[in-house]
Amino acid sequence: MKTMKFKGIAIALFLMASIAANAQLTGREIVKRAYNLPSGDDQTSQLTMTLINKSGQTRVRKIQQYTKDFGTVEKSIMFFMSPADVKNTSFMNWSYDDENKEDDQWIYLPALKKVKRISSDSKSDYFMGSDFTYDDLGDRKLDADVHKLLREETVNGIACYVVESVSKDEDYMYSKTITWIRKDNFVGMKKEFYDEDGELLKTLSIKEVKKISGYWIITHSVMQNVQNNHKTIIKLSNISINTGVPASKFTERMMMRGI
Amino acid sequence: MKKTGVLLILLISMAFSTKAQETVNISGFARTYEGITFNNGDFGIIQQTLNLNFEKIGDRVAFKVNPMIYMYNSDSLDFRLREIYVDMYFSNIDIRVGKQQVVWGKADGVFITDVVSPLNLTEFLLPDFDEIRTGVIAAKFDYYVGNSTFEAIWIPQFTPTERPAQGSIWYIQPDFPAPPTFDWSKSEINPSLENSEVFFKYSFLGSNIDFDLMGGYTWDDNPAMHVERFIDPTTQPPSIAGLNITPEHHRLYLTGGSFSTEIKGVILRGEVAYYDGKYFQTEDPLATDALVQKNYLNYVVGLDFSIGDVKLSGQFIQKYIMDYEQGMTEDETNNMATFLARYDALRETLHLELFSYIGLTDGDALIRPKITYDFEDSFSILLGSNIFVGDEKGQFGQYGDNSMIYMKIKYNF
Repeated sequence: MKTMKFKGIAIALFLMASIAANAQLTGREIVKRAYNLPSGDDQTSQLTMTLINKSGQTRVRKIQQYTKDFGTVEKSIMFFMSPADVKNTSFMNWSYDDENKEDDQWIYLPALKKVKRISSDSKSDYFMGSDFTYDDLGDRKLDADVHKLLREETVNGIACYVVESVSKDEDYMYSKTITWIRKDNFVGMKKEFYDEDGELLKTLSIKEVKKISGYWIITHSVMQNVQNNHKTIIKLSNISINTGVPASKFTERMMMRGI
Repeated sequence: MKKTGVLLILLISMAFSTKAQETVNISGFARTYEGITFNNGDFGIIQQTLNLNFEKIGDRVAFKVNPMIYMYNSDSLDFRLREIYVDMYFSNIDIRVGKQQVVWGKADGVFITDVVSPLNLTEFLLPDFDEIRTGVIAAKFDYYVGNSTFEAIWIPQFTPTERPAQGSIWYIQPDFPAPPTFDWSKSEINPSLENSEVFFKYSFLGSNIDFDLMGGYTWDDNPAMHVERFIDPTTQPPSIAGLNITPEHHRLYLTGGSFSTEIKGVILRGEVAYYDGKYFQTEDPLATDALVQKNYLNYVVGLDFSIGDVKLSGQFIQKYIMDYEQGMTEDETNNMATFLARYDALRETLHLELFSYIGLTDGDALIRPKITYDFEDSFSILLGSNIFVGDEKGQFGQYGDNSMIYMKIKYNF
């Protein structure tokens, strides 16, 4: 079984197979274990994202997504199912193990009827108006940040490592993030994001984790922007793992054809 | 009109019948679109549109029907089946047969190798790009090997570019040195095997770069105007007493390609086409029918990048006529640029955009600012302006009187 860096929206960032915690791990080693979770060779799921503003008004986005690990490259493809104005849009990402190699990304807009290569240099952009940036949804490169173990803490009766991560890029949108990672299995519990002024910007809470086909998968999470009181709920459903998603799924042909 | 009305009722009934919705995916939009010209305050555009998509996608077959109904002013209906086709899927081959729109190339807003589907220019370049193309009745074959695609298209029936009709604010009355008469007997191309168009393309999408190579044996979408001059010998010097103009489409060969790659966060795009055997108008009195046949090159280089949260895109486009001769009505080179800036705010509910065509050779431009607000996910209101400036002989400047402000309200379903 290969280690899969899920570039889709499974928030794999916080998951880890059960590994006995070692005596004295560094911040980097803890985050590395959380990043290098085993999550199968391929995954299929349906994602529902609910955006809720401070007045309580909601907007809902539905996406069908597929991910497959090809060894040195992990490919994912998303098909937008709703709302109506983005229906049949698709997005494909190829992410490389090579830390020096940027992702390749394409978008298919049905109105334009063609697949366009887009820059992967916009990871700080918010995804479809949600509280998640592309970076929040994917896996950052381990050494894009300096990780420091701050303390150990018990949250809801569960022992956690508390790790601070500071970007090596001074212009990065977060001055730092703080992540609570379970000591017993390295599953993430929550994460705080601080803005460029060092003020708390967002809090990610993991509400539900399920074991599917032997892998821990987050199925319900909430990102709360505490500065403007906006939040985004992500729920995963119809999850299947290691079903043999064909390589041909991750091609221009499928982007244009749709689900 | 009566038949169109019946057809409309049938389509709308189909769209909203419960049984149809169970089996066929139905989507589309309703839109109202009004534009007022700055020059005289006239409503240059009053248009209501219903676009319907009936689609069913299976594992092995699929179909799509896309009727679109435009109502101009109060009761003038224009019904179009923009696409109606069936798909057949095999393991490495897809076949699409029927009326379809085909989009090729990497350029935005200009048509270099993107020549399979002709254009509907009845409203100049203003319609959205998915509405400006005309569907062609064709059979398209795609063969897939890894990340490569071999595509062949056969079009048995030629479809020309649609031009604005007389009376339209987009119709430009040509300047003739003498009264013209038109002979339309050669303006049609009969559908036959001999008159078919064929196109081929190889495309690759992969890590680092996407590219394609294409070729086509086609008809020039724009007819050549064969001009016969009648000289009045009684005047001194002899003058042109009249013109007989015969529009005629001619065969055109073209070959080209395009590419797209990312360099440090910047998307670099390029596209080129070499056209063989195009007829150009000339004022050379010795030229037969006032035409001369030349080859030309058309290419574009473009960049897409971001500064902060603003998405920017720029393109340089050049058309170069080879073996140029004095007297030709077109310049030897024609340079153009496009510019796009886009900013999304309020959680992608407010969209600010500025798009411009800039005629570098003619010194004119079309500037298109617009602001769109999504009241809800499926409901948007757009305020925009089309501003034509510059030399009145340029392709944009000639529409100086048509500069306008407009509004579109759209509901997607």
